[in-house]
Amino acid sequence: MALRERSFPSQRRNSTTMKRSKANFETWSWFFMRISGLILFFLALIHFSITHIFNDVTTTTVAFVAKRWANPLWRVFDWLLLALGLMHGSNGLRFIMDDYIRTPRRRAFAKAFMYSLSAALFVVGTITIVTYKGTL
Amino acid sequence: MSTRPTIYKGKTGQWAFVLHRISGFLILMFILLHIIDISTINFPSVYASIHRLYGNVFMRTFEVGLLFGLTYHALNGLRVIMIDFFPGVIKNEKRLFVAMFSLSLLLTVVGGVIILKPFFTGRV
Ligand code: HEM
Repeated sequence: MALRERSFPSQRRNSTTMKRSKANFETWSWFFMRISGLILFFLALIHFSITHIFNDVTTTTVAFVAKRWANPLWRVFDWLLLALGLMHGSNGLRFIMDDYIRTPRRRAFAKAFMYSLSAALFVVGTITIVTYKGTL
Repeated sequence: MSTRPTIYKGKTGQWAFVLHRISGFLILMFILLHIIDISTINFPSVYASIHRLYGNVFMRTFEVGLLFGLTYHALNGLRVIMIDFFPGVIKNEKRLFVAMFSLSLLLTVVGGVIILKPFFTGRV
């Protein structure tokens, strides 16, 4: 995404601090996309290889998951993939919404919907990974 | 938005950018669904009936598409990161795009055979 130089009326009127804080947030977001991307590179490709290449997808049964999650390190792995994937993906979707949704009201609505959905799924995913007490 | 050209708004990177955007969006949509289907793990019969679907030929084809989206997005993401952090790389960005795109195609073909074959041979 191109980092845009947006200027809001409040910023034009006010001191430079608001402008700076906006720029700071976008800079962190830019940096976050790159760091999370580097980590996801390994997490996502390893995950896909395990569930589709080294094992056939039809063998990823409940027993398969129970066996993997018997090792807490795989739970950590899957949780990191969940957390980073959701944050990286929803921040990416925020860029996309900024680019294509032109009216401020619709944009605010779309973002509110997207943040709520990601947060809800983050909770669902975390509960699934943390509380699973599978027996083999 | 400024109309000053940037590395993202120039000519050569435009296709790389469009594909990166579409693949990122589609992977995100899949992750959202995938979180829900895995959350049925506490209801083993529901989980089993959903996961049986993953084995049919339509879903397997979809999985090959997901593989292409993921490998392209991952490799092109590395290309973007390299361009941003190492200023010299921009000179080779076009060749780098061709390399990353070809590599993701290659990985998709190899992975695609592995993913689709069990459906036709019946052997997992
Ligand atoms: C596998 C390793 C991955 C790498 C190396 C990576 C890298 C990147 C980078 C560097 C960007 C910023 C591009 C820019 O600023 O122009 C980006 C954007 C994005 N990524 Fe990823 N990513 C990865 C995985 C994922 C995953 C798993 C998802 C989905 C959940 C995803 C969804 C997105 C989206 C929606 C965007 C925004 C695209 C846009 O602004 O056009 N990425 N990715």
